[in-house]
Amino acid sequence: MRRVLAAALLLALAAPAGADEAEPPAWAKALRLRRLAEEFAYRLHDPGDVSKLKTLGWLDGKYAFSESVAVRAGVRGWYDAVFEATDRYPANVERDQKTDLSLREALLIVGLGDLDVRLGRQQIVWGEAISTFVTDVVNPKDFREFVLPDFSELRIPIWALDATYRLAEGVSVEGVWTPDTRTNKLPKQGAEFQFARFPYRFRNPVVRLPDDADEFSLARSEGGVRLSVLRQGWDVALIYYDEADKSPVLFQRRVAQPPGPEVVVLDPQHPRLHIIGATLAKSFEPVVMRAEAALTLGKRYETANPLDPDGVVGRDTLDWLVGVDYTFFETVDTALQLSQKVLMGSATNLTRAGVAAQVTTSVTLRVTTGFFDNTLNPTVLFVAGVNRGDFRLSPRIDYLVSGAVTLSVGADLFEGPHRTLYGQFDRNDRVTFTTTWRF
Amino acid sequence: MCRLALTVALTLVLVSSARADEATDLVREADRARRPADSFVWKISITSQEAKKAPSVDGFEVFVKGGGRVFVKFVAPPRNVGRSLLALGRDLWIYLPDAGKPVRIPFSQRLVGQVANGDIARADYAGDYDATLAGEESVDGVACHVLDLKAKSKEVTYSAIKYWVSKEGRRPVKAEFYAATGTLLKTGLFDNFKDVGGHRLATRLTLTDAIRKDRRSCSTTAS
Repeated sequence: MRRVLAAALLLALAAPAGADEAEPPAWAKALRLRRLAEEFAYRLHDPGDVSKLKTLGWLDGKYAFSESVAVRAGVRGWYDAVFEATDRYPANVERDQKTDLSLREALLIVGLGDLDVRLGRQQIVWGEAISTFVTDVVNPKDFREFVLPDFSELRIPIWALDATYRLAEGVSVEGVWTPDTRTNKLPKQGAEFQFARFPYRFRNPVVRLPDDADEFSLARSEGGVRLSVLRQGWDVALIYYDEADKSPVLFQRRVAQPPGPEVVVLDPQHPRLHIIGATLAKSFEPVVMRAEAALTLGKRYETANPLDPDGVVGRDTLDWLVGVDYTFFETVDTALQLSQKVLMGSATNLTRAGVAAQVTTSVTLRVTTGFFDNTLNPTVLFVAGVNRGDFRLSPRIDYLVSGAVTLSVGADLFEGPHRTLYGQFDRNDRVTFTTTWRF
Repeated sequence: MCRLALTVALTLVLVSSARADEATDLVREADRARRPADSFVWKISITSQEAKKAPSVDGFEVFVKGGGRVFVKFVAPPRNVGRSLLALGRDLWIYLPDAGKPVRIPFSQRLVGQVANGDIARADYAGDYDATLAGEESVDGVACHVLDLKAKSKEVTYSAIKYWVSKEGRRPVKAEFYAATGTLLKTGLFDNFKDVGGHRLATRLTLTDAIRKDRRSCSTTAS
């Protein structure tokens, strides 16, 4: 249904551009093809092979009915020819990733004095950090290519009501409500960035139930509030969000099937979470400091403890980070970030790749500079898990061929023990070539 | 004797205070030659050139509302369209479509070429710097007051500015911009004065790198 809607919108947006016999209406003039990209990736490890040959297009538009009422829409589509070029991926992965057409934005924006309302499909982004999602909790994420795409592409837009009211100068409160309870998109078995599999230790037969949570539910609707204060350069926000866990947690139960052995049933569920957090940013020219913290109440993790009756334990979790941005020699922009995931309880037997211990520490460094009047822009992103030494290193060079065309050459290199966040992709190192046209 | 010393000291204080007031007035009047009103909208085109490379052109639309509220929309080239800057007083954010959220950044960070974010998102020298008169000089035949500007706080673009303001008309002529270390970062020349909305405005600022003289950016404004 969503694809039909997106296709209809795409046609509606594209049609006026092709109609030359009549002057297009004002609303249609605003609609256009915004960006095209050709993304190529080559997997370096055996078997070295093409792992992505994706053509993407973004179409968007905006129309203002008045100074206070406007609509915006955006569609993204892709076709990945890698599934024609190689037989390495199973059919379920091809079905899941070969083509995509999605409505990225369909938004009614209304401004009424101190009240701003955004109703429709959208991304609602909370937080200050780079390369992590500590308080970026509203939208589910598309992890089919791990966390390698831009975050605006990783977020899955949701249908929501987002209202912001200015209480006073520099003080505002934002309320979000959504019945759109879709969950993170995870790669299918056999996909290039399939997550390390749950370490089945059962001697009994195992049946995994499908994750068939409804995408819309008034009963399970989600929402929260954010209070933002800007005082003397201190940008502080307090957040509360009530949602279902966007990633499934595999609950176990044993079902007798006489005369055979008991069957272990793995039932993916999305336990309710209550997230209480805060963000902070402050510029101490030329240094910018940012910090985030989120305490997640009700968080559950799978455990490998054979004595645990449902294979799941509850561990309230505190995620926090602190980062600084600084520009060296007036030209080299650096961002350094330290983050920790702190479990309120033991991490023994927990099987999630991102949890290395009761306190999991990671460090992120991003360095960007520009040469030849910023037409050649190298960037290096390095993210390391301190506990077990796994890391991701992503160097990239963007060459601005013209104002509209950018060529990018890069690599994504992973290293570390197999069951760590980055180590699980140790065999997925790749080089990438991307051409982007903007209109 | 004591009374004489007191009188001399008091006179010195009054004179130095008067000179500081005069310096502040000079900077304030020169500021008026860099913006047409408290609130305005204008377009800025920045042409950057490095050595013998072809120049690149970046376009911006700048919306200024009194009280230090500035919104800068990136309008060219196409790769930058969708980005924007928001300055509220001495706080600055950039919106990057790829990140999908506003990100806090410093005013001193380079925007394009030799131009820093603060060069277009905040131009209130009188509000941001303490000024003192340092002498008089001629710049290309124009008699100027020379002013030393020291940042009032760390939240501004430059730590210090050496500023040449013409005696006649009190218009900005030249500026040297310094980092906190005292290092000269770049030199700016204000020219191409035009009448805009009843004001005589400098519509062009040429910034030249202090070390690599062949790196320069020319910022041209149009209402």
